[in-house]
Amino acid sequence: MLLSSSLFSGFSPEIPAPAFIMTKLLEWLFGVSVVGAAWALVSFDLLDLSLPQTYREVAWPMPLYLLVSFGCYSLATVGYRVATFNDCDEASNELQEQIKEAKEDLRKKGLKM
Amino acid sequence: MATGVDQAVGMSLVVFSLLLFTYYSVWVIILPFVDSDHILHMYFLPREYSVILPGIAAVILLLCIGAFTAVIMWKNRKPKKVD
Repeated sequence: MLLSSSLFSGFSPEIPAPAFIMTKLLEWLFGVSVVGAAWALVSFDLLDLSLPQTYREVAWPMPLYLLVSFGCYSLATVGYRVATFNDCDEASNELQEQIKEAKEDLRKKGLKM
Repeated sequence: MATGVDQAVGMSLVVFSLLLFTYYSVWVIILPFVDSDHILHMYFLPREYSVILPGIAAVILLLCIGAFTAVIMWKNRKPKKVD
């Protein structure tokens, strides 16, 4: 990518030519469209593959199934984090120590508290 | 530390989501491959409802989120008017 952009930018030294680099958005759009096309192919039988009716019945609610799976995963993650929520004792002690040090330092420099 | 109530709530959330995932997977993916006169079909609603019920749930959820957001924004806007 870098090589091609430097090659193409030789035409106009002032303005760098737009190199073909896939942004994250493009990547996601590409992936989603590929998956969506595959889903549409199977569930609406666009190519007349004469798939069994059962396959189409399974494939048709797949987007919703993925959504429900994602919801379940999110719920489970939240629940697990709630169950294993912990205190950060070490960090708390460290912070208290630093506050003490800072107060000492400021007092040395003549700040009244 | 997480108290006993926290742990109970969290673990029940995990168990609930796992149960929901398993039930929905069986309903959507496995059930079409089972004969329609099999006894397993007794425990599930007709297939249309596997789309309708999550749809209703999604609509209710979105309505709740919208109402929550509206209430929060409405509450936050009030003090600015007083100033």
